[in-house]
Amino acid sequence: MDSFPVWLSLRVALSATALTLLTGVPTAWLLARKRFPGRNALEAVVVLPLVLPPTVLGYYLLVVIGYRGPIGRVLAAIGLELAFTPAAAVLAACVGSIALVIKSAQAGFETVDRQLEQAARTLGRSEWGVFWSVTLPLAWRSVLAGTVLAFCRALGEFGITLMVAGNIPGRTQTLPLAIYDRVQANQMGEANALALVAVGIVVVLLFGLSRLARLRY
Amino acid sequence: MRCSLSIVLALTWLVLGTRSTDAASPPSLTVFAAADLTFAFREIAPRFEQATGARVTLVFGSTGNFAQQIRQGGPADVFFAADQSFVDALAAEGVLLRETRTLYAQGRIVLATARAFGPKLTDLRSLLDSRVRHVAIANPVHAPYGRAAEQALRKAGIWEALRPKLVFGENIRHTLQFVQTGAAEAGIVALSVANVPDVDSVSIDAAMHAPLDQAAAVVRRSARPELGLAFIQFVNGPEGRPIMKRYGFMLPGEF
Repeated sequence: MDSFPVWLSLRVALSATALTLLTGVPTAWLLARKRFPGRNALEAVVVLPLVLPPTVLGYYLLVVIGYRGPIGRVLAAIGLELAFTPAAAVLAACVGSIALVIKSAQAGFETVDRQLEQAARTLGRSEWGVFWSVTLPLAWRSVLAGTVLAFCRALGEFGITLMVAGNIPGRTQTLPLAIYDRVQANQMGEANALALVAVGIVVVLLFGLSRLARLRY
Repeated sequence: MRCSLSIVLALTWLVLGTRSTDAASPPSLTVFAAADLTFAFREIAPRFEQATGARVTLVFGSTGNFAQQIRQGGPADVFFAADQSFVDALAAEGVLLRETRTLYAQGRIVLATARAFGPKLTDLRSLLDSRVRHVAIANPVHAPYGRAAEQALRKAGIWEALRPKLVFGENIRHTLQFVQTGAAEAGIVALSVANVPDVDSVSIDAAMHAPLDQAAAVVRRSARPELGLAFIQFVNGPEGRPIMKRYGFMLPGEF
């Protein structure tokens, strides 16, 4: 069995999860705590990737980051090509999964008692300090739940990846694409083996996480 | 918190930090090929590699998707479309090299029956049999083999009667899967992919549909256009032809 798609997918899903956390958690906090113009629009945009068919979303994304697209041209000017690279697969996984982090974390932040945050402020904590010592610790289960969902979605991302990263064996063929390819080529044995690996990864991850969560709290 | 941030950065590096370093290895050729070529090209590519020392990466998928991707800079050197119209459109846009455009095959369609169904259907009209509850064809709106299937069914005069039974596959392999799994008792698929267990098939007369002319061309952005052209010629050459023929394609000079 070809193990390249497994490693690529693990790396892509881990990187994408890290990136969605970095950008999604602050966005969730903004949506939960701040009122600003365009907030409702942002809330709608955030869930769009869950509504549009992935391949169509991928096509739009490709038009933007392809070498003739607005972003693609800027990148090309500094010698970078994003479309059809593993980085494009990471981008695809991010786009597909970020809503899950944002919506879960937002719900978590919204249930945190604001009086506790207020109390921390009166004790001299900065906004940043309040977030790390009060808000996040109280909402961490929601953030974790969103992160797990996002990781699984990133690991299983298919349609957007197919369009923006291509399905190039040995370069951008992630686990879901590899499974699909094997099914298409009637290599059911290998398809089943790869599918089993994907399931195995998620089972181990969820098992490990629940152990970890129990140890800690 | 510092620690979690560094973990995050380390993870980001996992992907972004690894650039492939396959610059000087043997010349490589990336072929975007229509799904109906899967089986034939899996046999042809290794022979081409042996003959030229080049490394071939085969990417199979939907002709329509590939056309969009190549337009946006998809890293193909050669494009084998299931339908010449896609190649002509891209050549007109200057994305493909017009002078490399080659008609490489003509597709044939077959009437496929799921073995689990029992009786082997040999005639299009037998699809009307009430025991046949679903008939799979590729989506005639965008899939060339689907269009051919629709034309054949119309010519047989049973398109309207059959419509309630029709299920559409996204491409020809997907269509075949409907039949392979027995979910559809029968279907119309490409001869080139029909040779699988669980399925019996009989050819449908080529006169029943407009010719399925399939064209290939080299991509303008390719770094090795001569190698791409060599691959097209190889497919149509003495080594490629018997394989293509075995998988049910009609070849240039024969139709």
